[in-house]
Amino acid sequence: MVNKKITMLWMQAGACSGDTMSLLCADRPSWPEFVEQYGIDVIWQPSLSTRPMSELMEDIDAIINDKLILDILCVEGSLALGPNGTGMFDTLNDQPKAFVIKQLAEKANNVVAVGTCAAFGGVPAAPPNPTESTGMQSFQGESGGLLDNGFKSRSGQPVINISGCPTHPNTIIQTLISLVEGYPLDLNHFNQPGEFYSTMVHQGCTRNEYHEYDIEEEHFGEPGCLFYNLGCQGPYTSATCNTELWNNRSSKTREGVPCLGCVSPDFPRNAPLFKTEKVGNIPVALPLGVSRPRYMAYKDLANDAAPIRIIERKMKP
Amino acid sequence: MSRRIKLQLNRVEGDLEIELEIKNGIVTDARCIGTMYRGFEQILIGRAPMDALAITPRICGICSTAHLYASVLALESVSNIIPPANAIRVRNICLLSEEIQSDCRQTFLMFTPDLCHSSYSTLNDYQSIVAKFQDMQGELYQDAIRFSRDIIEIVAIFGGQWPHSSYMVPGGVTSLPDRRKVINSLAQLQRYTQWFEHKILGTSLADWSRITSLAELNNFTQSSDSAIAILHRFCRDMGLDSVGSGSEKMISYGSLIDPENPQERIRSDGTYNYKLKKHAPLDESKITEDITSSWYHDESQTARHPMQGLTQPKYDPDSEKYSWAKAPRYDKDVIQTGPLAQLAVAKDPLILDMLAQNGSSTWTRQFARIHRQASSLIILKDQLSSLLECLDAPTMIHCPLEDGEGVGMIEAARGSLGHWLKIEDGKIKNFQVITPTAWNASPRDINQQPGHIEQSLIGLPMPDLDEPIEIGHVVRSHDPCLVCTVHLLGSGKKHRFGVT
Repeated sequence: MVNKKITMLWMQAGACSGDTMSLLCADRPSWPEFVEQYGIDVIWQPSLSTRPMSELMEDIDAIINDKLILDILCVEGSLALGPNGTGMFDTLNDQPKAFVIKQLAEKANNVVAVGTCAAFGGVPAAPPNPTESTGMQSFQGESGGLLDNGFKSRSGQPVINISGCPTHPNTIIQTLISLVEGYPLDLNHFNQPGEFYSTMVHQGCTRNEYHEYDIEEEHFGEPGCLFYNLGCQGPYTSATCNTELWNNRSSKTREGVPCLGCVSPDFPRNAPLFKTEKVGNIPVALPLGVSRPRYMAYKDLANDAAPIRIIERKMKP
Repeated sequence: MSRRIKLQLNRVEGDLEIELEIKNGIVTDARCIGTMYRGFEQILIGRAPMDALAITPRICGICSTAHLYASVLALESVSNIIPPANAIRVRNICLLSEEIQSDCRQTFLMFTPDLCHSSYSTLNDYQSIVAKFQDMQGELYQDAIRFSRDIIEIVAIFGGQWPHSSYMVPGGVTSLPDRRKVINSLAQLQRYTQWFEHKILGTSLADWSRITSLAELNNFTQSSDSAIAILHRFCRDMGLDSVGSGSEKMISYGSLIDPENPQERIRSDGTYNYKLKKHAPLDESKITEDITSSWYHDESQTARHPMQGLTQPKYDPDSEKYSWAKAPRYDKDVIQTGPLAQLAVAKDPLILDMLAQNGSSTWTRQFARIHRQASSLIILKDQLSSLLECLDAPTMIHCPLEDGEGVGMIEAARGSLGHWLKIEDGKIKNFQVITPTAWNASPRDINQQPGHIEQSLIGLPMPDLDEPIEIGHVVRSHDPCLVCTVHLLGSGKKHRFGVT
């Protein structure tokens, strides 16, 4: 535990508030427990703060003028730079919100992009990107974010991307705890903390036995695997959805919804989301790192080995 | 003396700014300004129709289930497909759980913390109000975080996660309901219901449903210290039962499809004029969107039915236009939507009596959001029980996706939500969304009629310009999540202050 209060400011830009709602679903620990137990001074959380907004504006000024230390800046939502680079699609106090956030990021000790919109642009940045939206330090995994490639916050870290649409509740709260406690984040290539982005969504899916024996569904509402025909991204998306369940209960794939790869920089990918793209009858994208000839050989053998209980879909996902 | 002030509201569904003209301590004019544009409708054009099921839930993190439901209905209506009864039950179970979550969080995280403001410290019950409702510290604030998290687990049980899942697909639902899921859900529901009966109502759901008039409600609240009793007394002492009425006309698309009879809604659709006490059937063709005051471009200059709707942004701060929100109208009229309208259209006797006696005041509107949970909890239990009785029945039928036009209209937690879409050559050709907040927070139309929230502010007394907490109560009762900043304009001096 820390003795000094940690200041935290949460800004919403082009957001649906889904990550804030996700935050309210966190329970290990919960948001109020986190604030109390870790000594957090919440300067602002737009859905929850009851402080007058005048004080927020004063605090923003104080942070920008180095009169108030900002330990953690959380940003939710994409940064709209349109129309025509003015940022006026999304304003705060008549100012383009993206540029206010940029000023804050330059002063913050740590900057966290919460959700895929803030990390990579997300849904608003999907073609034709009508609002000229982008992420904090990345546009769909490439350069072109609000902040340039070389940006480092005062603690020396780039923007920490905890992507997801929304981000898993406990990924949000536990990343914040890691920052407060100084635990290493082991950021990966996309600046995501390794702790939460080193497990395939596929791992832990209760349809795995069907995948294993190549029993694939063509229609929704069946118990089998969703990878081969229905667009599931589980075998090449890294997130905790099936190893730390959602809302304590389940995951999309367990309930028959394909993983949409919502933590990925290109989410929502520019292709039909509920369909697997194939060459011949083999998916274009194979489970991460698997070679095509070996995959085909393995699948043929697996299909041959499938037990009747799987072929007849007797096992509940 | 007349002064104009500008008020910035940060809401959950996007940002809102309100410009007010004040004369002799009374609001004489109000303008509602949507300050954010995200372009969802443009993003959908050209995509596969199914993609709407992934994209539209992301419009709103609080009503993502409602957007999913509206999109799937729109897709099904293109092919004239009605899903099996059990699919409708699963959809209803999820929508109700989301609604209860939203009503709970809106009431106890967004609305009631304001009542702890020190300017009310001389009113009766103030100590109880602070003990129960103070943000972060209050007993019910903490409870609300816990129990709203509990009830929303039901959506994850059937849909995988909340928010933002896509388990409703044309023809049914993707998940396979079984007894474990239903029993798990009933346990979550029971936990929430016990809390709600014990701490919020102070009586059982059954006894509560027998309160059917304002007189009976007054009588009940005089002898109870439940949350609803204290709130009823306190908000009336504050005068919230006599301000903030807005439009007298109300609309509901009908809440929850009846699984037994899918052409009907469990809470019926229609319109209601509470001044004339007149119900009328809903006519979808009377819905139009006007862009006279909105930053969009349309050469035709006329209001359009959403099926013919256009979304072409054109930011022009120097014109008469002032908002990113369009102005939906019903039969050319301003109309309000939300729990109050929904219950009035469905002829809830207590709500009809409160409307007759107090109008659609700020407190009546907020009360409806708490009161609705009581009947929603009963319907939710009923839907789960019916599902349990016929678990082997199908939850999916084949639904081919065809070219054509479709519409999906449902009641989200905040009110009437509609998706209109056109499919051509297997792709989305046009997509228009009218959200509940678009109805309520609309700007002026071609006839210069102010929108509903604008109307609810005009005439409001604002004795203290330095601390306009009244504005916050009125606007929050419409269920935007907001914080306000006010600029005093025209006096040479610029003030900013918030509504706390």
